[in-house]
Amino acid sequence: MSAHSSTDPKTAVLWDTHDHGHDVISTRTFGFFLYLLSDGMIFATLFAAYGVLSYSHSYAAGPTPASFVHPWYTFLQTVALFLSVLAYGMGMGGLKRGSKSGLLSGLLAAFVLGVVFLGLDIHDMMDLADHGITIMTSGGTSAFIFLTQTHAAHIFFGLVWIAVMILQVMIQGFTTDTVGRLLSLRMFWHMQAIIWVFVYIFVYLWGYMS
Amino acid sequence: MSQGHDNPIHHPEVQMSSSRGYFTGFLISLGLMFLATFLVASGSMPPFGLLMVITICAAITVIAQIYFLLHLDISEHNIWNTVSLVLFIPLFIITIGLTWWMFSQLYLRTMPMMPGMGMH
Repeated sequence: MSAHSSTDPKTAVLWDTHDHGHDVISTRTFGFFLYLLSDGMIFATLFAAYGVLSYSHSYAAGPTPASFVHPWYTFLQTVALFLSVLAYGMGMGGLKRGSKSGLLSGLLAAFVLGVVFLGLDIHDMMDLADHGITIMTSGGTSAFIFLTQTHAAHIFFGLVWIAVMILQVMIQGFTTDTVGRLLSLRMFWHMQAIIWVFVYIFVYLWGYMS
Repeated sequence: MSQGHDNPIHHPEVQMSSSRGYFTGFLISLGLMFLATFLVASGSMPPFGLLMVITICAAITVIAQIYFLLHLDISEHNIWNTVSLVLFIPLFIITIGLTWWMFSQLYLRTMPMMPGMGMH
């Protein structure tokens, strides 16, 4: 856009007459990033709901997170999720080198560790239900369970997506479509780790302290 | 956002992944989460100070993950992702903060004060 003094105003071309096309991968990943930010707003509303429903009267004299959260148990979930994200990143290192086996082993490890995270979460929720703590118990437990399980639902759909990508890469190899999806899934999976930091610190740990 | 690539492997978003960066982000995140869990589980600090410390742990972890995992910086390829995140952050904080503030004021004016009741 810099003005050159040598340009003749009478013959200067003011616009580009050729279509250069768009970079398909970047267009898709940027659109997906905007979707992820709007997904973040869902969590914002759920954090707000938890914030207004975590006063002592919100628990209707029933159990509070201080009595049913086990910090070291949930820390294991944190380790599993962070390792899963790391494994996905190592898989993307394989993609960078053009190594199919490197990518697939990273994705497989990310899948297994994600299943561990989800298994620990489901076990935790079953344990709460055994102690009579469900979404019906009080406003406080509704907000707590709905927020944490919305995150778990994201993990579930991320696992489905990882499984689909393993199959697609095995069948189709590295095409514009599959590589673009792998990049979008990387953002999705890493975003779940970022959301989990908020969930873990401000819902589990802070709830346990209160 | 307009450069074409025949081989998708050579796309800048593929090439910017860095195993060392992911590992650094992982170590920082896990270390800070371990510290926060240890402090909360041992209960050796006063609640307000503890809340401040774990909030700082969360903030550093999130910044490290955004930098090392999402690769958000001001380079030409990532600038629009960074701009949209910067515009998103006020919405996120206002949504949570205003709702929380309104209800805390409402409770203060309408609920009978019970012992042990306070901001959670």
